Amino acid sequence: MHPPGATRNGPAIEVRGLVRRFGARAAIDGLDFDLQRGEALGLLGPNGAGKTTTIRVLSTLCAPSAGNVRVLGLDPQREAAALRARIGVVPQELALYDTLRARENLAFYGRMHGLSGARLEQRVDWALELAGLRDRALDLVRTYSGGMKRRLNIVAALLHEPELVFMDEPTVGVDPQSRNHVFEMVERLHAEGLTLVYTTHQLGEVERLCDRIVILDAGRSVGQGTLAELQRGQGRAAKAYARVELDERTRARLEGAGLEFRVEEELPNLEAVFLALTGRALRDEE
Amino acid sequence: MKLATAWILCRKDWRLFLRDRTAMLLSLALPVFLATIFAAAMGGFGGGGVGRVHLLVEDLDSSARSKNFVAELAKSETLRVEAAQDTRRRIADGKAPAALVIPAGWGAALGSAQQLQLTLYRDPGATIEQQILAGALLPALLGSGDEELARSIAMHGMSEFGFSLEQFPGMRSLFDSTWDAFGSWAREHVSKQPAAADGKEADEGFDFARIVSRIVGMRVEDVAGGEDASQKSAMQSHAISGIAVMMLLFGLVAAGGTILEEHDQGTLQRLRLAPEGGAAILLGKFLFTATLGYAQLVILFLYGGVVFSIPVFRDPLAIAVLSLAVVSAATGMGLALAVHAQSRKQLEGFSTLVILVMSALGGSWFPLIATPEWYRKLGHFTLNAWAMDGYQGILWYGKGLSGIWLEVVVLLAIALVASALASRGWKRRFLSTG
Repeated sequence: MHPPGATRNGPAIEVRGLVRRFGARAAIDGLDFDLQRGEALGLLGPNGAGKTTTIRVLSTLCAPSAGNVRVLGLDPQREAAALRARIGVVPQELALYDTLRARENLAFYGRMHGLSGARLEQRVDWALELAGLRDRALDLVRTYSGGMKRRLNIVAALLHEPELVFMDEPTVGVDPQSRNHVFEMVERLHAEGLTLVYTTHQLGEVERLCDRIVILDAGRSVGQGTLAELQRGQGRAAKAYARVELDERTRARLEGAGLEFRVEEELPNLEAVFLALTGRALRDEE
Repeated sequence: MKLATAWILCRKDWRLFLRDRTAMLLSLALPVFLATIFAAAMGGFGGGGVGRVHLLVEDLDSSARSKNFVAELAKSETLRVEAAQDTRRRIADGKAPAALVIPAGWGAALGSAQQLQLTLYRDPGATIEQQILAGALLPALLGSGDEELARSIAMHGMSEFGFSLEQFPGMRSLFDSTWDAFGSWAREHVSKQPAAADGKEADEGFDFARIVSRIVGMRVEDVAGGEDASQKSAMQSHAISGIAVMMLLFGLVAAGGTILEEHDQGTLQRLRLAPEGGAAILLGKFLFTATLGYAQLVILFLYGGVVFSIPVFRDPLAIAVLSLAVVSAATGMGLALAVHAQSRKQLEGFSTLVILVMSALGGSWFPLIATPEWYRKLGHFTLNAWAMDGYQGILWYGKGLSGIWLEVVVLLAIALVASALASRGWKRRFLSTG
């Protein structure tokens, strides 16, 4: 049973005029966006843009100063317990117990989300399989590599089968091979229908994974939409082309000789869009 | 060159040290503070001598002679005399280290064949106090200004040690002629020397108090500590209880500090995201910390019982209930400190300071009965003092649950207040979404 406001349909997230202040400083300043079920939203922005604060508000940990927020049809503050049962959060830090085994870590977090008995065992096995850690399930987490810990950190948030998962830089601090492994795991989850909110500084990951992108700067949305919409919205090509004016006679002669004319558009990549929207100035840490 | 490099490193470490207020506090201020507490406990400020021994006096005689004697006792710099009744029970309950009972008719019978004995009820566990008391009794009797009394005491003392005046002709007159000189010398010198105040003679082979009692013709009855009481077992039961309470506090603050550890490593945020992840987290920490503390106490008291024969099985129920109250209070305090500390390092520094001071003030290191009254009152603002009173009550004074109910109630009250503070700090710092 879900609370009256909870829905299985409709947008996964609705944010309208969200403001979050810390003292005089507005970490989020009038943010609006939606996320549909089954979509992956990339939340991008330089350090201090308000990405983590946005996730904290959406995941019940931080109250908004103003604005309306609905997550899975629920109010994150008034219906926090009900919402927490339906969302998963992968924190930026490795929120694991180093001196417990991988299986013990997962079993503990599973129990904290109300799992028990055979169901718990089943979900822990599933998570270990997904993370590729079945063979190391009984090793202490402190003996794991950075990539293994990252994978475990992710699946620990999935045990209770959340409908929506927030991932705050889940691939940070690992080597390219491990990052790729972690990212492929996330891609697989999304392909299976999991709704995701994903923050990262790896823009290539967002290009590959996300259906929609919100670019934040100083707590405001400076651009949002699909990747293509953002690229086109920039109105500027990544490359410049020379324009050649030909008269009809010359053109006919060249075409007769086998020359073809085609109009091509090379759109800017996400990094170029990002830098264009947020500028190149260095930012303080969030 | 090596020296120059070493000097550079040394300067760097000094710079780091001076910026670490906790390290500075522990290294420089804490020793001074603890030394002050010890010195104050043992002698008061300004070199004012040793703490006064609390002596109950039950004057059933109420004669001029007995009143003079009591007045002389009250003049002693080493005694705090309190007129009291039912003194035997009060000593047995640990309310004071000793009580002197002057029987009815004592003054009138003095020097006669039916001379009545004074009775000294004492707590043999209060080792140092007995020596101080003994040092004060004789000068008080001699100085009470009653020639007949003093003479009687001296003669009795000599007789006690096998030197009866009646056995040697002429001895009585020799005794009488030297009496005045002896008396004035005693008043001049003996009263100013609290003979065994430093407890040097306090080993079991030399009971100064008993010897003095024999001299003054006094009956001594040890009324605390049970049949097998000895100074050694009193010290041991105090040591086990004292260390247990102090280490409990250290252990439980460390356990409470796992909140900060979880906060730093990010697991606390993940726990908060569980559906019931609010008050349940603090309650879980309380349960962990309390059960750890209880296990710590059980192990230590069992060890004390097996290895040092501390009577921990005399009343297991009373020990179990008191330990529950002690653990609850210590857990609440540990968690309250933990949730208000900004970092694990700050918690360790501050809690070390608080626990050492509480242990010194609260009698974990030395019995409060040996300290001045103001010190004892101050000490009872700490949970250590109430815990020590309770444990000593059971282990040394043989009290049951009914005898330590006050300690249990006070400790539970401390637990309640500390837990409320912990809960408030927890909500404000870790659960607030504002």
